[in-house]
Amino acid sequence: MPREALAQLQAGVNAEKQRDLESAIADFRKATELAPASSLPFLRLGNAYMTKRDYAQAIPPLKRAVELNPASAPAHQLLGFALLAQGYAAGAIPHLDFVHEYGALGIAQLQNGQPAEAVSNLQAALAKNPSDPDLLYYLSRAGTALSAQSLDKLLSTAPNSARGHQAAGQNYFDIKMFPEAKKEYMQALALRPDLPGLRLELGQVYSANSEWDKAEEQFREETKLQPGNAEAAYRLGDALLQQGKMKEALEQLKRSDSLHPDMPETLYALGRAAAVSEPTDAEHALLRVIELEKETPLAGQAYYALAGIHRKQGKSAQATKEMQEYSRIQALNNHGSTGP
Amino acid sequence: MTKASLLSLFCAVGLLAQDARPKAEVVFQLTPLKGVDFTLRNSPTSRKYLIETMPGGVALLDYNNDGLLDIFLVNAGHVRDPMINPFRFDRHEPAYWNRLYRQNKDGSFTDVTEQAGLANAGDTNYGMGVAVGDYDNDGYPDIYVTNFGKNILYHNNGDGTFTDVTAKAGVAAGGWSVSAGFFDYDNDGKLDLFVTRYLDWSIEKSKTCGNEKATYCPPGEFPAISNILYHNRGDGTFEDVSVPSGIAAKKGHGLGVAFADYDGDGYTDIFVANDVTNQFLFHNNGNGTFTEMALDSGAALTNNGKMLSGMGVAFQDYDNDGLPDLLVTQLPHQPYVVYHNEGHGVFSAQELESGFGSLSGKVSGWGVGLEDFDNDGWKDAFIVQGHVFDNVESYDSSLSYREPPLLALNRNGHFEKADAGSNVPVAGRGAAFGDLNNDGWIDVVATSLGDQPQFYLNRGGKAHWLTITLHGTKSNRDGFGARVQIGNQVRFATAAGSYLSSNDKRLHFGLGSADGATVEIRWPSGIRQIVRDVKADQFIVIEESAQR
Repeated sequence: MPREALAQLQAGVNAEKQRDLESAIADFRKATELAPASSLPFLRLGNAYMTKRDYAQAIPPLKRAVELNPASAPAHQLLGFALLAQGYAAGAIPHLDFVHEYGALGIAQLQNGQPAEAVSNLQAALAKNPSDPDLLYYLSRAGTALSAQSLDKLLSTAPNSARGHQAAGQNYFDIKMFPEAKKEYMQALALRPDLPGLRLELGQVYSANSEWDKAEEQFREETKLQPGNAEAAYRLGDALLQQGKMKEALEQLKRSDSLHPDMPETLYALGRAAAVSEPTDAEHALLRVIELEKETPLAGQAYYALAGIHRKQGKSAQATKEMQEYSRIQALNNHGSTGP
Repeated sequence: MTKASLLSLFCAVGLLAQDARPKAEVVFQLTPLKGVDFTLRNSPTSRKYLIETMPGGVALLDYNNDGLLDIFLVNAGHVRDPMINPFRFDRHEPAYWNRLYRQNKDGSFTDVTEQAGLANAGDTNYGMGVAVGDYDNDGYPDIYVTNFGKNILYHNNGDGTFTDVTAKAGVAAGGWSVSAGFFDYDNDGKLDLFVTRYLDWSIEKSKTCGNEKATYCPPGEFPAISNILYHNRGDGTFEDVSVPSGIAAKKGHGLGVAFADYDGDGYTDIFVANDVTNQFLFHNNGNGTFTEMALDSGAALTNNGKMLSGMGVAFQDYDNDGLPDLLVTQLPHQPYVVYHNEGHGVFSAQELESGFGSLSGKVSGWGVGLEDFDNDGWKDAFIVQGHVFDNVESYDSSLSYREPPLLALNRNGHFEKADAGSNVPVAGRGAAFGDLNNDGWIDVVATSLGDQPQFYLNRGGKAHWLTITLHGTKSNRDGFGARVQIGNQVRFATAAGSYLSSNDKRLHFGLGSADGATVEIRWPSGIRQIVRDVKADQFIVIEESAQR
């Protein structure tokens, strides 16, 4: 590199140290003119623009730096960031990949419609920074996108398969088109009556529509297919509970709790089902909900249910305390809500 | 004996009772009534003024004391799109009149609105509900009409005509009144008046909600408001005692109201069904004041501790344990709420145990009654249904604006769906219950928006019955507030309850296979009276005895 170019480069570095970015940029630009075949002045110029957050201006010198020195990791890294910042995700990917910048690479891949790769790279980045909120956010989005992509593929390649109908049913369920969801699940069942999970999902469509007797029928069948599935037992118990079949509900909810202990929803439902016939069991279940849930709305509901039990037992002081806890948690959750 | 064993004992008694009774029969038939040509004109607009979706009431009363029930229907009014100041609802036009239909001996009806002096309910009033009671103890039922605007008290002159005595009586209220009911809160023998109010709302404050699909706003968009209690001075005037009584201390979104003495202290208590607010249970302290007890007594929220959209309410004993329970109708996604009276001032939400988890949840309930439709000795439920939003299908395809009614027969405290006589969906609102054709079987008159009223005539069966008219002497003339017991069945005398409506004041008991009964009455005066060996299948009048 010519001596004049080196001097300009040094002047630019000095200006950067004094946070005089405009002078630094002018000095680096002169250095690129004096040493047009040297990568370093372009890299420094690009870096100065990046420091200034002027990503659009940073891209041309960084591209030139990479061209002049394809092995320069800093040049690839900065160019990858600059391109990603400007929305050129596809262009950023090879540069970020080159330097194993997994976090940014995952984000670029997500934006470029490669959710599977994005999930993998974001998980790698999270292994180093497990609590990084940006990484967690993008991993969640990548997971959702991957799920949607898989579903789209399933629906386009095998729409008339049992899984295809199941997926379509799930889609309709998500947007509350219950009759359409039912139809899809029925078609899936006609093809694969023994497919685990189908009846669990169909039962939930009936539940959402308050058709509890039909929901019960589906959940019951699911528990026959999957006797070890705690969710199926819970859902069956809840459907029975909604129909006022307390004894049967209690059986199923206890079974669910034994299969998968400490599921708060199961314990809460168990508390409600046992409130009249087995108030002591109900109390234990509801207290466990409170232990697990602390101050969530479900914990508030558990306090409310406990107050009801104790009020009936004539333990009014205890009920009053529980109602106070219920009100406190209600206020806490209402205060924190971001509703319209 | 523990409470659990007591409960099992009650269950055992109930089972025996069921075994002994004949198979219950009830057949409703949707039947047009000759001479009734009313249409509830609510005038829906693109502006979605909230009042449009809330009317209208119906009353079953015998205004001329000829022994035949007459029908009073509240109309709404003409709403312009948009409304232009000064705001008028064209109630002077016959299409928007409230209507009184007199029943003739042949079961047909004659419109007597104009000759009775009930035409034109005031151009600035948009109609809502109706309460009926003999406030001056002259033996003729008087009519109180609630409005968005000013309410009207019509005094029954006893000659087939009514006189608007609102100004003298001082009961015009104002704002948006909804349901109302007469009751005697201080047991002085004169009927007082309770009026629920929905929102602090006006045409100027109106707004629409929803995004591109405009619809009616939820109540939380407008300030809550207190209800009104009027004390009857006995000289034709009333005093607004809302503040000194403690009623005004609680603001809510009041819709339905019902009365009963839930704790057996001899004083009538008040339940107000509130929309997306805690329900109100005003305990009567017996000294002219009330304490709101719903949250403490377990009658404020759903069994999940969530607020409900309380609409209509019935306050009667559904499980024959002698204590009045509550059935509150509400909007979809949660079942109608049953507050079972556990005694000692405690209620527990038992909508699941009672069967309403399966009967509701995707429907919207309004007018409601707990009546023994099949005369088997257990009070059944009839609920008029229809969503608030007239475009709800565009929001949620699983819901419907128009819905058929629900008839749920009571089997030992557990309700099961039965044929209501019609699967025709309507935008149901008000409902009144009574024996329209004096055949011993309770009928239903329901209102629906933009439509003619529905008459569900009960074709009956073979079970026995007894219908009692109370004649208070020391107590109020209507006997409202009396506790009447036959066997383990109890009824609390009232015409109030449901939504916007007023029921036949006669007390109807199904007797199953029993051909006679002993009637025990505790009057509001404190007098206890027993009438023995009363034959079944008749209408009787019981006059309050002079002694305790």
